[in-house]
Amino acid sequence: MFLVFTVIWSFALLAGITMVWLLAWAIKRGEFNNPRDAAKMIFDEEEPIGLITDKFPGERA
Amino acid sequence: MHAQTTTAVLPSPRPEIESRIEIDRSSRSVIIYYWTTSLFWLTMATLAGLISSIKLHSPEFLGGIEWLTFGRIRPVHWDTAIYGFGGLAASGTLLWLQARLCQVRLPYPTLLRVGCVIFNFGVLIGAIGILMGHSTGVEALEFPIWAMPFLVIPYVFIVIANFTMYAKKKTNHTYVSQWYLMAVTVWFPILVLTAEACTNFGAVDGVSQAIANWWYGHNVVGLFATPTGIAAAYYLIPKVIGKPIHSYHLSLLGFWSNAIFYNWAGTHHLTGGPLPAWTITLGIVGSMMMFIPVITIGINHHMTMLGSFHHLKTSPTLRFAVMGSMVYTLASFQGSLEALRSHQEITHFTHYTIGHVHFGMYGFFAPLMFAMMYYAMPRLMNQEWSSARLIRIHFWCTLVGMLVYTLAMCFAGVRQGMMMNDPSIPFLNIVRFTIPFLAMRTLGGLILLTGTIAFLINFIRIITPHRVTYDSPTLFTSDRDWDDVLEREKELAGTRLVDGGQTA
Repeated sequence: MFLVFTVIWSFALLAGITMVWLLAWAIKRGEFNNPRDAAKMIFDEEEPIGLITDKFPGERA
Repeated sequence: MHAQTTTAVLPSPRPEIESRIEIDRSSRSVIIYYWTTSLFWLTMATLAGLISSIKLHSPEFLGGIEWLTFGRIRPVHWDTAIYGFGGLAASGTLLWLQARLCQVRLPYPTLLRVGCVIFNFGVLIGAIGILMGHSTGVEALEFPIWAMPFLVIPYVFIVIANFTMYAKKKTNHTYVSQWYLMAVTVWFPILVLTAEACTNFGAVDGVSQAIANWWYGHNVVGLFATPTGIAAAYYLIPKVIGKPIHSYHLSLLGFWSNAIFYNWAGTHHLTGGPLPAWTITLGIVGSMMMFIPVITIGINHHMTMLGSFHHLKTSPTLRFAVMGSMVYTLASFQGSLEALRSHQEITHFTHYTIGHVHFGMYGFFAPLMFAMMYYAMPRLMNQEWSSARLIRIHFWCTLVGMLVYTLAMCFAGVRQGMMMNDPSIPFLNIVRFTIPFLAMRTLGGLILLTGTIAFLINFIRIITPHRVTYDSPTLFTSDRDWDDVLEREKELAGTRLVDGGQTA
């Protein structure tokens, strides 16, 4: 029983520390500095904003 | 005298296209493994659900077969749906999406393929174990203990691959979908290991086991299926309509509030049970607080779509993604209200809860996984879906089947609850009242199964070699398109292209 609780709490602690570390790392890296850019990161020159990228097969854009 | 020569330089693929082609190639075989097997389990789960449903209004159906009794086939339905379909579809989504968003090749493809085989083996022996009568009896963890390592170990491979991609990412930002995908790989192992330890390994006993059970039962939906579905929606809706999400700030607020509040909500399932009242109150408060992420996500998806709803006519991905997102908002509102004691006085222990669960799984999670497959598969396989008609059948069957099922169960549940609260009504009369609605539930399941089979046919055809003429932008970024670009440029140049750019 002691072993099971040790595993549970150790794992939860490890996961918690990982999340906090990830958050600190993300802040340090400037991940939250410019959210507008983050929202646009799924677009690029080939698939720019305004381009529809999905249609039923055989139907023109 | 030399004839006039024309020089044509073979154009290099533009970096974005080249990068996407490379990423898709690296993930192709792995994703096909995950998604193909996930659809196999979806079909099996729906069949098992259908058998369970028929037994509720026609108990003699397959009644003589011991391993198909309701107590066995029903947990097979749930566990194969959540692990077989949900686990594999979500893992495939996670891997493909993370590779694309990090702009890196998918690492450890062999390990991930082996992991997929092990995971499938785990689901298979788990399902067989339940059918043989070895269910643990713990909701959502019915697979025998000896099947669970086959599910947990492959997930470790996915966690490693996910973190490796994130560590190597070539982008400056973390897209909101990535927050959800990273969080899932942290939350899910904690959920499974803690719940298994507390229930099937007996770390706690008595009502504490029930708390751990429902903490898991609720969170496996909210901290595993839901984040993956939301991650898919946040990518697909803006990507398909070519419009950034309405508010990135709101999306982050939605993520962190979901992360903070969802974990507390599970105990509302035990309202009326022999638990300390504060434990249940905590679950209800957590459920109420869930209005914050649900509203932010709902506003964001709706405002992003505003002015673009006409694309629903022409985009299969968008149809499923928007359906999933809208049902997410509705099902979450329903779920939060359902947590209230006053609400549960009527709906607890009724078919209403079953309606709500299926509303979420078949109306929100499954359509978003379908949307992801509709978007990614043509790019991965470098060929178009073979039949628009099958896609339409799949969509309408999913929508209508889910609505028939949910409305029948929710209406029956409310009436059933009101009748059960009236001591003058004999219990058998209440059972008889629900029978037509249980038959409607079977009808809903049949419609859903029809849609699933239509999708399966289309899916099998896209993973087998065939070439379908296409002129839609689905393959916009594929290497086949690039071949066509080269071909067109060759025709325009009117010259023979030679590597190195020289022509005589």
